[in-house]
Amino acid sequence: MSELTLGLMYGVATLVVMFSGMPIAFALGVVAVSFMYFFMPASSLDTVTQNVYEEMASITLLSIPLFILKGAAIGKSPAGKDLYSAIHTWLNKVPGGLGIANVFACALFAAMAGSSPATCSAIGSAGIPEMRKRGYSPGFAAGIIAAGGTLGILLPPSITMILYAVAAEQSLGRLFLAGIGPGVLLVGLFASYAVYRARKEYRLAYAIYEAGGAKSAYLHEEDFTFRQKVEMLPRVLPFIILLIGVMVALYGGYATPSETAGLGALMALVLIALVYRIWRPSDLAPILQSTIKESTMLLLIIGMSLLYSYVMSYLHISQSAAQAVIALHLSKWALLAVILLMVIVFGFFLPPVSIILMTAPIILPPLKAAGFDLIWFGVVMTIVMEMGLIHPPVGLNIFVIKNIAPDIPLKDVIRGVMPFVGLMFVAVFLLCFFPGIATFLPDRLMGMK
Amino acid sequence: MSHGFEMAPSKGPAVPDNPALAGLSRLLDRLNHAILMVSMGALILTALVLTYSVVSRYFFQVATDWQDEASVFMLVGVTFFCAAYVQSYRGHIGIEALAGILPRGVNRARLVLVDLLSFLFCAFFSWKSWTLFHEALVEGQTTTSTFAPPLWIPYSIMAAGISLLSVQLLLQLAARVTNHRDNHV
Repeated sequence: MSELTLGLMYGVATLVVMFSGMPIAFALGVVAVSFMYFFMPASSLDTVTQNVYEEMASITLLSIPLFILKGAAIGKSPAGKDLYSAIHTWLNKVPGGLGIANVFACALFAAMAGSSPATCSAIGSAGIPEMRKRGYSPGFAAGIIAAGGTLGILLPPSITMILYAVAAEQSLGRLFLAGIGPGVLLVGLFASYAVYRARKEYRLAYAIYEAGGAKSAYLHEEDFTFRQKVEMLPRVLPFIILLIGVMVALYGGYATPSETAGLGALMALVLIALVYRIWRPSDLAPILQSTIKESTMLLLIIGMSLLYSYVMSYLHISQSAAQAVIALHLSKWALLAVILLMVIVFGFFLPPVSIILMTAPIILPPLKAAGFDLIWFGVVMTIVMEMGLIHPPVGLNIFVIKNIAPDIPLKDVIRGVMPFVGLMFVAVFLLCFFPGIATFLPDRLMGMK
Repeated sequence: MSHGFEMAPSKGPAVPDNPALAGLSRLLDRLNHAILMVSMGALILTALVLTYSVVSRYFFQVATDWQDEASVFMLVGVTFFCAAYVQSYRGHIGIEALAGILPRGVNRARLVLVDLLSFLFCAFFSWKSWTLFHEALVEGQTTTSTFAPPLWIPYSIMAAGISLLSVQLLLQLAARVTNHRDNHV
């Protein structure tokens, strides 16, 4: 049987089993083991568990539960609300400042917690009611939060990037650094749009008021004294110090990524104990419980995805698929466009973890052959997967928003997020024209590759 | 899809209609809960071990050679041992796009088939894990590091965890088959 036929059968079997509703981890394992049984030597079945264990026993991968613990500790404390309130009081006088405050709060929280939906929930539960109270249209308010939350998988320590680093065999330190420039770019784009849209809605509200209509909440002034602003800082500063501390530990050469994860998790637990008095076993249990649920589910998917990739590689499916893509002789940018389109389509129904681990063996060799820097591509791919978090049909962040603001109609939420999807496309284009946005920081701090 | 975030707190594992299965389910829940408690401790201990490693290296100039493998063993243990607990809440995510489209009867058959295949896969994995554990124990296999801890330790945890997951899946499959039509376990 040709490798192409085998590859097609593997792909179809995967789709059928996955769409049957079987948990992704088991589905990948079932497909891999079935193909081992039919198409590989019988002895290969004896190595299934050893393969899974050896792939999972990577200290880099196992930093994931600890980064999740750090995120859960911060996410389940009132840190998000405090962060949002502090930024809001300081940016109150800036035109469209409330929108900017929400974007900034999302970015900072995402960098601390490393989770997109947790960011949406933590900042959105304070930010959406405040924006609506101040006259922002519900869809716009929802869009800011949904999009701001996506920064969680781009800014370090991103779990998605850890997986990409393992799958693409790239330096995690470089990848984390490469996410910062595009993260700042997206923050800038989101904040600029927030200002533009807020001013537009303000002008509309003013025109209605001038024409004798109702006075919108947009037109009410809100003031904070300097004392009020300063009083907000002590609750936020420890978390900013945590954020900086983690980065210094990682890039100052003090700790490996896994040690940074352990240190960060412990520091987050100590901080919530000191600042919010969350230290009793009954307080910590939900944090640890959700961490275990999440990391167990993720690590089993990772383990089985790696087994799935091993079978693809053994049967030469991934190599043949990669060669077939190269043989298409697409131009460099057409190749990138096709691959990113595929990632977008996968993002309709698969989480980033599966997309990365299942597609990496096929898409990375052609990209490398075409001369793309795989660190740069990791960032671009992450932004494209971020879109999957806010575009229909699955867009997880949309459903988080529906959960915290159930009275906003789904169509308004979707309409509100679409401009941000457009801005992400803009960011991808800018990264294509100016790859230095991603590569400058790692090249500067860690030397050229 | 899940990304380190729960939309709403879980209500707890569903209880089967059959009294014998319900009794077994409660027993398994207690076991899963006990394992969860130990795993919570292991998670914090891992964070402590990795922090100690940084502190001892930079403040006391003492390098440790055991912390990475101890952490790996603990986190692999947490992952496999808690797989059954996560399954008891049906927390291993899948694509449920067909659930709303299929007729009720077909959907029920699909769910039974999914549970059956999941169980068969985990039972196979469990069998191979015990074989691996036995080989590591008999042959005295160790890791390749200078610390060189025996490999039967993580293999036994993996085998026990996946066996527990298989039992959990079998119980859920049995409940799915014997339950009244409106009780989704």
